[in-house]
Amino acid sequence: MKNIVEIKNFQMKFGNKTVIKDLSFEVKAGEIFGLLGANGSGKTTTLRALLGFYEPTGGELLIDGKKYDPEDTNVTIGYLPEERGLYKKETVLDNMVYFGELKGLKDPKGWSEKYLKRVKLEDKANEKLEKLSGGQQQKVQLGVTIMNDPKLLILDEPTKGFDPMNRRLLMEIIEEAHKKGAAIIMITHYMDEVEKLCDRAILLKNGVAEAYGTIAEIKKSHKNKSLEQIFIDVYGGEDE
Amino acid sequence: MSNPLWNVTKFEFIRQIKKPSFWATIILIPAMIVGMFVISMLVSNGNHATEPTIDENTKIAITDEAGILPKTYPVLTEDTKDEGINKIINGDFDLYFYIPADFATAKKVDFYHISEGLELFNMDGQAIKSILNQVVSVKYPELDVVALTGSFEVTDNKLTKTGEESSAIGRAVIPITILVVYFFFVTLFGGRLLMTVVEEKENRISEMILTSVSTKHLIVGKIFSAMLLGLIQIATLIVPLIVMVIIYKDNEVVSMVLSQIEIDPITIITNLALLVFSIFLATGLLTYIGTITPTAKDASQFIGPVIIGVVFPLYFTSAFLASEPSGFVYFLTYFPLSAPTALMLRSAFGTLTTPELIIGLAEITILSVLVIKITVRSFQRNAINFNLALPKFKKK
Repeated sequence: MKNIVEIKNFQMKFGNKTVIKDLSFEVKAGEIFGLLGANGSGKTTTLRALLGFYEPTGGELLIDGKKYDPEDTNVTIGYLPEERGLYKKETVLDNMVYFGELKGLKDPKGWSEKYLKRVKLEDKANEKLEKLSGGQQQKVQLGVTIMNDPKLLILDEPTKGFDPMNRRLLMEIIEEAHKKGAAIIMITHYMDEVEKLCDRAILLKNGVAEAYGTIAEIKKSHKNKSLEQIFIDVYGGEDE
Repeated sequence: MSNPLWNVTKFEFIRQIKKPSFWATIILIPAMIVGMFVISMLVSNGNHATEPTIDENTKIAITDEAGILPKTYPVLTEDTKDEGINKIINGDFDLYFYIPADFATAKKVDFYHISEGLELFNMDGQAIKSILNQVVSVKYPELDVVALTGSFEVTDNKLTKTGEESSAIGRAVIPITILVVYFFFVTLFGGRLLMTVVEEKENRISEMILTSVSTKHLIVGKIFSAMLLGLIQIATLIVPLIVMVIIYKDNEVVSMVLSQIEIDPITIITNLALLVFSIFLATGLLTYIGTITPTAKDASQFIGPVIIGVVFPLYFTSAFLASEPSGFVYFLTYFPLSAPTALMLRSAFGTLTTPELIIGLAEITILSVLVIKITVRSFQRNAINFNLALPKFKKK
């Protein structure tokens, strides 16, 4: 299967602090990939470098064989960052239409109205975003993330702060995107989610891969323990 | 076809014009600035003599082709009118009066001197006669000047050092208008622009948006939208002005001012170029500040100093009125933050030479391009640096 993401000998330093020592892995088209590790292990840094927010100290990070360019229409990406937000003083619809236009949608208004109806927010379309509850704002953010039918969906702790209803919506969205053939990279601390959803995963510690492969391969190499137990064994109960 | 730059520009433009605060500031702040400017002009007029300075060293000459003055009159000269004017330009004369041969019927005397700066109106005959009286009484107290200051008209002819007739107000109208637009733009939209950049970080939007649009298009789109808002500002100034002119076109002062406005394409083009690049420079600088500050509160403290830097030369308007610029004026002319205002002031007051204009324009153009490039790079670097406490990564 074709690789949609290739990370080769990636190194990242902030000043004198080395965050990623030497990291290589691939994400295949159409698979759900778990990017795992304790807080500070370099997961978010890896994604940000992949998306061009950080210039890597060394190595190569490619999406569809190229360095990521947000205006390259050949590669459609949906990114739900850990730090997420929209224009609070603007209406829900204005926010969605703006992002839809930037993502090159032909009918951003029509798509947004349809989505808002699906998530039962159609009556909030003309409300300012700041008037919505946290959970409602999360739904809008999810809509913005998937609106361009991405080939690659990158979710950084997607369920962080989500209420159970939105968590279920997110899972539906992940499954739908997966069925349409999208590759999904997911950072999460919930190992049950990884076991349930992911085809393959990588576990980072001290800027290197401690485990990498299919979920079954990772388990097999760790005496068939659960992913959660493997995680605890690798970190010894400590954050980095 | 979706164009990211157009999308950003349109979004930023529409969200600003929807705000009631935009329409409030667009009307109130210009009124305040116009007030400040008028006060500044009045103060400078009070301190700066618009009439030529008279003392015992003043060199005065009169060509009396009509022969109405006694031959013994000490300031009489044999020079022709053209020679007299040339001597004014060369500095041999300070004040020159020309009494034509047909004086008996025309009852007119021409008065020539070098323009001292922005004299808003020509002196009337009485003021000129008063000058003549002063000169004569200082230098030649024994002479009876009543004969000379009888009932005749005197025309005030101001000259520049290049010998052109100087219509100070006519020359100044367009550069001053452009300067006013520049002030309004920086004071009204510079701060807003800065805040929209900080907002991207403060509301954690930047990480989401920068996967959909490049940093360059995001920043330049914001600057373009601010320029479009500036056009609305210009319209709110110009349209009422045009309406007022139409209503009061028969007013003596209005018709006199209108008749004196100089429409010089080169002045207009150079001043507009100066305006555009000055706006790029100022907005680029304010946007840069937005990229390195984490919150709107932190950013807001920088707006004041930048605006003071831009307005600073205005406090020294009287220094800019002098026909020979001082070292301080030269410093303000080339210091990056004050250069646009200083160049526009000097252009308005007719003390800016062509080489100086070219150097100033080149400086501002180069700086504006550099500042925008640095700003784009800085935003890319700091867009997700939400608390700016992280050490900066080193580029390979």
